[in-house]
Amino acid sequence: MRIVNPLNETVVDRASAAPRLASLQGKTIALLDISKPGGSVFLDRLEARLRTEHGVATVIREMKPTFAKPAPPDVLQRIRSADAVIEALAD
Amino acid sequence: MRLIAIVQTDCPTCRLIAPYLNVLARSAAVMGISQDGEDATREFVRQMEMRFPVERDPGFEISKKFGVVTVPTLYVVDEQERIVRQEPGFDKTALNEIAAMFGLAPVASPYDGAPASKPGCSSRHLETQTEGEGAEALDLHSKRGREASVIELDEDAVEYCYRIFGDALPVVPPTVERVEAMLGGLDRREVIARIPPCYGEATVEKIAANAVMAGCEPKMMRVLIPLMRAVADERFNAHGVQATTHFAAPLIVVNGPVRQELGLHSRQNVFSNVARANSTLGRALQLVLLNIGGARPMGIDMSALGNPGKFSYCIAENEEENPWEPLHVDQGLTKDQSAVTLFAAEAPHGVSEHKSRTARGVLKAITYSLATVWSYRACLGFEAVVALCPEHVRTIHRDGFSKKDVREFLFENTGIPLRCYEEPGEGVEQRTMYKEIFIDGERCYQKFRAPESIKIVVAGGTAGKFSAVLGSWTVGPRGSQMVTYPV
Repeated sequence: MRIVNPLNETVVDRASAAPRLASLQGKTIALLDISKPGGSVFLDRLEARLRTEHGVATVIREMKPTFAKPAPPDVLQRIRSADAVIEALAD
Repeated sequence: MRLIAIVQTDCPTCRLIAPYLNVLARSAAVMGISQDGEDATREFVRQMEMRFPVERDPGFEISKKFGVVTVPTLYVVDEQERIVRQEPGFDKTALNEIAAMFGLAPVASPYDGAPASKPGCSSRHLETQTEGEGAEALDLHSKRGREASVIELDEDAVEYCYRIFGDALPVVPPTVERVEAMLGGLDRREVIARIPPCYGEATVEKIAANAVMAGCEPKMMRVLIPLMRAVADERFNAHGVQATTHFAAPLIVVNGPVRQELGLHSRQNVFSNVARANSTLGRALQLVLLNIGGARPMGIDMSALGNPGKFSYCIAENEEENPWEPLHVDQGLTKDQSAVTLFAAEAPHGVSEHKSRTARGVLKAITYSLATVWSYRACLGFEAVVALCPEHVRTIHRDGFSKKDVREFLFENTGIPLRCYEEPGEGVEQRTMYKEIFIDGERCYQKFRAPESIKIVVAGGTAGKFSAVLGSWTVGPRGSQMVTYPV
């Protein structure tokens, strides 16, 4: 039997994950809050620990306007210079 | 007079506007100016099937001369090379006004699935950071897709399709012959929409294959095509609806003459297994969301409890028992048009009221269900569909209520008593934003943002005083908005 493939066949380029950091010392870390309740509490604590325990030099704090949609380009642009990004996902 | 469009090949707004410029170019002199290199420009012209010349702008001399800030910017230029109009970004109203300047009919319909407007990107010559630019953009706007591949099967087709493409129920195998019959001569490669969250290309052929699997009759294609545009409309935000941990599923409400023409049922058992047309149309949408959109229940679809509507969730409005305007008229269409409306809905919550003989009594019963939408103390962030049964409608209408009166009564009488807010919990922290009202002498927070947050639909059979409240997912520009498309 010959059937028509009903699945998405759009070709998408495979992207590799960014290289892992060997150390956080002196690095710039972006913390992205997706604007769910409690995200800022988690990230406040994380920011303090990154600075005091891991020697992170700069922390960029950004927030998505809504958790219901992908991050808009201007938010992505502002975290692009970071060495790594940590995203707070849950409530 | 001619139209000059300054574009970049990796700007999503430039890709969005390209097909509209193609339509203008059928009768107007249109010229494109690309700020990118030769290869990128050639690929852009090929992918978007540009029907007018696109020149390059090395050194950005032309861009600087025009003083372009964002791309795309359209310039209408007269015979003396003077700029008579300039339009940055994408804007349907502006495109139609420009078409009129050239003596042409409107080129941008409000119901083609594209947003009303979209800002552009900054002009290349003003960009401070160019590193990383020029990466191949995800093609989200070209109108021609690939032909679907054909799978040769040796094994049992029903079992194979159930395993790979199904909704955990057996499907009709989309054989080449069945898909051909569903297509009925339509252009198989036309891309109708790109379905979130994976933005798979819903070509006419892919829609037809999923419609076959759902059990649709070929005549359903005329509803499926506008339905796919509606589900991919940015305002509906299928990206979020399909990925959320919430209960929401897209509810389809069908209005107008197409209900009779295709056998879409609006009476008893309207939310359940009563008619092939309802069940298969709702299922076809769900199969498209699964197979083309990619939100699978064991993957991207993260719903904690799910929703039985994810098998099929499609009703027609019982306009014959509706003394007021039907839903699609509330949504800006005319009564004689046919339409599909999408709403990110929870499962129906029944409201039984057999004893009350007044509009006020029936509507009061409904307010107590409306008060529980999302979570009882949470206010403002959501909407609801109220599906009124014909018996309740008769009681309400007899008391002289218009549809507007119904909405306003429900709005003014749905609230949560302030005494409920002493314990912490969902919706309590936001109380500073809520509006205080009095309901039957008690201080309450008003549940909904506006009367329009409550959408009224007449549905169901003429026996039984059972209406229903359907809560929403998060709404508004930051969530999902109800969308209505003409069929």
